[in-house]
Amino acid sequence: MLRSKVCDLLKIEYPILQGGMAWIADAALASAVSEAGGLGILSAMGTDCERLRSEICKVKTLTDKPFGVNLMLMSPGVEDMAKLVVEEGVPVVTTGAGNPSKYMEAWLAAGIKVVPVAASVAFARLMERIGASAVIAEGGEAGGHVGDTSTMALVPQVCDAVRIPVIAAGGIGDGRGLAACLMLGASGVQMGTRFLVAQECGIHENYKKKILKASDIATLVTGRRSGHPIRTLKSPVARRYAEMEFDRSVCDDQLSGLRAGGLKKAVLDGSESEGYFMAGQIAGMIREEQSARDIVRSVVSEAEELLKRCDAWLV
Amino acid sequence: MVKEKVIAILAEYKDCDAGDIDAAQSFEELKLDSLDTVEIVMNLEEAFDIELKITEDLKTVQDVIDAIEKLV
Repeated sequence: MLRSKVCDLLKIEYPILQGGMAWIADAALASAVSEAGGLGILSAMGTDCERLRSEICKVKTLTDKPFGVNLMLMSPGVEDMAKLVVEEGVPVVTTGAGNPSKYMEAWLAAGIKVVPVAASVAFARLMERIGASAVIAEGGEAGGHVGDTSTMALVPQVCDAVRIPVIAAGGIGDGRGLAACLMLGASGVQMGTRFLVAQECGIHENYKKKILKASDIATLVTGRRSGHPIRTLKSPVARRYAEMEFDRSVCDDQLSGLRAGGLKKAVLDGSESEGYFMAGQIAGMIREEQSARDIVRSVVSEAEELLKRCDAWLV
Repeated sequence: MVKEKVIAILAEYKDCDAGDIDAAQSFEELKLDSLDTVEIVMNLEEAFDIELKITEDLKTVQDVIDAIEKLV
């Protein structure tokens, strides 16, 4: 049976976290993943305190199992949400896009397990020092906001640098990815894109269809010029952004205006022309819509089969 | 003394001349992103054998120099 220290740390059955995708990861998806034995994570992005509180309550009614909340530290209203997770007794908080130092004292005092996303070794070391329970080493294969270093290169380097458990993310979509990340030294994985097509994931049908028909080269990164790179499917607006980004006559405001609200338009309206369909590079591996339970179980059983056969390499 | 050492470490990180770095510059102006900044600050901690509070208040080279001077 597959088990790692992340399971004991987060009190989950399988070492699989569901990425707290902005506008997407709601109570229906997070509770389904937690019920399936992974860690479901709510996104606090694209919501306000009142709605986040009601999503947290929904998760609690749908499952008794642990769950998490992801806070994007750059997003507006994050300070109030940082208090809200304490009030609501959220078991796990994952953080992205910044340094959670100023919230750590309150979170740790409340017994919250804090698991920041880290895109570099130095940042992971800093997170360990300020009391993180684990870190998510996320490589550039991921969807949404990304760093430069790939998962294959980042994970072992982070594992060498910290003593807390490392959760690998970016480019993991099946049991092969999970098994490979354990080999790299990680104690678990976080998957986002694979859960986009979970039956419990409420994104627009068009978004799901686009993921299901995506190929290995279906994504691109835009926003390197602004310092906020985002991986997304090659939708018309993403292609336009990519072209304009190289055009010096286009100002930064024009660029950010092009992308603003694009994810929301993809998630809620499935807008072909204006949607920013964020997805990781493994989108090309995803061929069917499944329940969260089937996704978690199939990833785990595939990894178990592979790990059992590991010694076949030794002759 | 602190200033010279900080600038020397920054120059080494950026592979540039110490003379090209002005303490009044922000990390952003030096084309260093948030991940670079964390790495540099950790290098500085090691060099000075101190522990700094790494927060968003550390915006310019001078901010870092001031923070270090309080501790050494």
